[in-house]
Amino acid sequence: MSLEMLQPIAVELSICGGAIVLLLVDMYLPDGARKHLASLTALLLVVALYLSTRFDGQGAIGTVYFGSAFTQLCKRLLIVATLGAVLGGRDFIAKVAPRRQGEYYFLILMCLTGMMLLPGARDLILLIVSFELMGIPLYVLTAFVRDEASPERRLAATKQAAEASLKLYLVGAASTTVTLFGLSLLVGGAGSTRLDALLAAPATPLHIAGLLLVLGGMGFKIGAVPFHMWVPDTYQGALTPVVAFLSVAPKAAGMATLMVLSVKAVPSSIWQPALTVLAVVSMTVGNLMALPQRNVKRLLGYSGVAQIGYMLLALCVGGSYALAMLLFYLCGYVVTNLGTFLVVHAVADREGDDSLDGLSGLARRSPWLGLSLLMFLLSLAGIPFVIGFWSKLYLFMAVYQAGQGWLVVVGAVLAVVGLFYYLQVARAAYMVAPAKPQPLQVEPWLAVMIVVCLLLVTGLGAYPGPLLEVCQQAADALLLGR
Amino acid sequence: MTEHILSLIVAAPFVAALILLFLPPKQLGLIRFTAAIGAFVSLVLSLYVAFLYNSQAGGLQLAEVYPLVPSLGIELRLAVDGWGVSLLILTGVIIFAGVLASTSLADRAKEFFVLLLVLVAGVFGVFVSQDLFVFFLFYEIAVLPMYLLIGIWGSSHKVTEAGPLRFVWKWFDIGGREYAAMKLTLMLLVGSAFILVGLLALYFSAGAGTFDMAVLAKAHYPRSLQLWAFVLFWLGFGSLAGVFPFHTWSPDGHASAPTAVSMLHAGVLMKLGAFGVMRIGMMMLPDGARFWAPVVGAVAVVNVVYGALSALSQKDLKYIIAYSSVSHMGVVMLGAATLTQSGWNGAIYQMFAHGIMTGLFFALVGHIYERAHSREVAKMGGFATVMPGVAAFFTLAGLSSLGLPGTAGFVAEFLVFAGAWQSPQAWWSLFGVLGAFVTAVYVLRVSRAVFFGEGPSPHFHDLRDARRVEWAPLWILGGTLLLCGIWPRLLLDFIDPATSSYLRLVVAVAGGQP
Repeated sequence: MSLEMLQPIAVELSICGGAIVLLLVDMYLPDGARKHLASLTALLLVVALYLSTRFDGQGAIGTVYFGSAFTQLCKRLLIVATLGAVLGGRDFIAKVAPRRQGEYYFLILMCLTGMMLLPGARDLILLIVSFELMGIPLYVLTAFVRDEASPERRLAATKQAAEASLKLYLVGAASTTVTLFGLSLLVGGAGSTRLDALLAAPATPLHIAGLLLVLGGMGFKIGAVPFHMWVPDTYQGALTPVVAFLSVAPKAAGMATLMVLSVKAVPSSIWQPALTVLAVVSMTVGNLMALPQRNVKRLLGYSGVAQIGYMLLALCVGGSYALAMLLFYLCGYVVTNLGTFLVVHAVADREGDDSLDGLSGLARRSPWLGLSLLMFLLSLAGIPFVIGFWSKLYLFMAVYQAGQGWLVVVGAVLAVVGLFYYLQVARAAYMVAPAKPQPLQVEPWLAVMIVVCLLLVTGLGAYPGPLLEVCQQAADALLLGR
Repeated sequence: MTEHILSLIVAAPFVAALILLFLPPKQLGLIRFTAAIGAFVSLVLSLYVAFLYNSQAGGLQLAEVYPLVPSLGIELRLAVDGWGVSLLILTGVIIFAGVLASTSLADRAKEFFVLLLVLVAGVFGVFVSQDLFVFFLFYEIAVLPMYLLIGIWGSSHKVTEAGPLRFVWKWFDIGGREYAAMKLTLMLLVGSAFILVGLLALYFSAGAGTFDMAVLAKAHYPRSLQLWAFVLFWLGFGSLAGVFPFHTWSPDGHASAPTAVSMLHAGVLMKLGAFGVMRIGMMMLPDGARFWAPVVGAVAVVNVVYGALSALSQKDLKYIIAYSSVSHMGVVMLGAATLTQSGWNGAIYQMFAHGIMTGLFFALVGHIYERAHSREVAKMGGFATVMPGVAAFFTLAGLSSLGLPGTAGFVAEFLVFAGAWQSPQAWWSLFGVLGAFVTAVYVLRVSRAVFFGEGPSPHFHDLRDARRVEWAPLWILGGTLLLCGIWPRLLLDFIDPATSSYLRLVVAVAGGQP
């Protein structure tokens, strides 16, 4: 085996290696210098992004891994999402967990490595190992506790974080078990761990049961109804920068994995009805459950469930066009949701109040932060001139073209329901008088990340063409490649 | 410049809004002046379009095309027809008058004018786009800022809780401006969702890979698709036009909105809905239009009569005007449903006449409310002694509203009722006239109750007539109302050729004029 064979996963390897170096450096750093670890991580990610343009990342490693335009797009998206979460939360993490920054960034990088391997995995062993590599750091990350001055508040914060982490852990472990059980049925029937072997295997009842169990396990990871119970509690309890990361990157990776499985391992007739049900139920439940929420993070958690529902809509339609639109939706979702959580982070964590009241008067305290939040919310709702509109439009077009007009009507009407609660957040920011009149200060890197998200959301909203092309190429690469 | 006149007219309010963004929020005078200049430029440009448009030749003129999303065949395709010209003038007049009427607004004035101007840019965009998709985009820009405009600058008023569902009233804070803003936004966006689905249906069924409205209008759609897609457009656009029973956002919204927003919304935005039904629904889907015309007309008749009766029973001055809009928009939809030359001319003319008239009404009501701090008609009386000018203009608007000859309202209603008489459902005109009669009752009752009789009670110590710049919107709107009433050809010369060419698309297939 020559080194050149590893070229498709060179970026992953460099990130993994960088993570280990980071952990070693952390051991020898004095306390005061730990805040530079974030910059080191960011540098590493930027280098990784650069490397992903140097290496084309195409080609196969045996039958285990296959790199293509699809994996390239997913990798870059994941790196960008991680970069945003790392830089956005930099000063906050340095403040609340000054001595554990090394672990924090190490875990994020390991999680990223796992996620980046997922879209190219063509073997069940690699798939499940990557899945766990992604999942286990998340259990720890959600358990990070906010440092509070008073003992009571510290205890409350610890309890919340413990609940967040434990819920994610229990549900995650259960979903892994379910997935593994399903996989064991599949491998038993097909006699191989290769994905293409699953596709060729006869559709015995056991095989179908295995496929549905795997779908259920995946549903947990992306937080689709009825496997979404962990989402609101974990979002509420964990630190906001962690949630910003958790709500975009693992979901994107999980969605990419579902795409790979549905194209490469599962005959469409078996998953399609189940996916349709998951999509409709997720859109409905997510949008309706978000309505009464008063906590912004919970609200955004349910909104994320609904967004996943829309993506599943495209997945159940299938085909090159729909998959491309799904990828486009995913990109838009990542940028928008990251931005939203960063704004919430900027406000809620400074005020120590993550209810809707905490956002009150934001537009007067910091006009540009208010405007960013408004744009992100409009994008999540799918309103013209921001990327979220094109996402929904293209997705609906794909679904309509596939002859599922009724799904478009359901989705469009539920999108209006969604607008209601997004506007509740906007209302708090724009129409309610501020509790504290003084202007809001934002850390420079956090501000930069929010502005980058804002520029992407509005820029891609004004000019979606190039990204659309990239997504189409990626979808074709997934369909035509191995 | 003349070859880019249409993009200029859309861009002018946008540019003004952009300039406003960079002004210091404390400099109120400068902000108002900039907004007024932006609105004035829009008005001048819209009049200039009318000057450039050759009404003898008719058809689409002043065309501009820029590619936008080539992969889907979406183009920024601007051109204007006779209908567009008259509605552009309407928009220009209303926005200029609206900005002048809100010179007393001081709270967060900068953001207010930014949103208002963005909204107007959307309205201009709708009237000049010839690409269905861009049409939809502009339509959304025109609808969305309304949420913030009403929610932030609107006014709340107390509603007495009543009925078996009174606990629901409390929940939703009925009567509050945020309730009104949310209701308006959600109802209109459900409409947008319908429109979007209809749009996709047209795009894919035509299979031409373009959203160009001229191409889409020539395509032949299967009858079954036409039947359901027309309903989508009718309800989708119709919710903005206040079609019964989807009109309920309009009284709440217009009553809660600040003066300029009420003027713009009742005066221009509701017209976007009716314009959409005619321009997209009826012209793209002639089979659907002919099939559903009896239903559209019957519902419009309900609008006319029901709106007028509701206005009759209101006690709040702004609600009365708001319900009168519901009634008058019914006249527009009735004209559209007749599918006759004079009915369609009347519909467009009524859009113009009602826009100007209701703009004048809301400007006056805004003035009265500002001086009297109350909108309750029962408490007012004898205001004419202290505000004779306002009383005179209110009477003028009222007379146009009830269709007195010599005012624009008369021309419009006459054309519509004549069209209804020629249509297969002649009985429509009967109810139309009934609506006009009820209108006369409530208009005269209100102006008597507010301006004449005993009073004013010493409780209203703040009353005075309009002053200085406050006169400008009243004279502009009132003058337009009279001018178009005395000299209807001024607009009909634009409207008529467009109507006849469009009507041919809808009824020619059926074998001639009905």
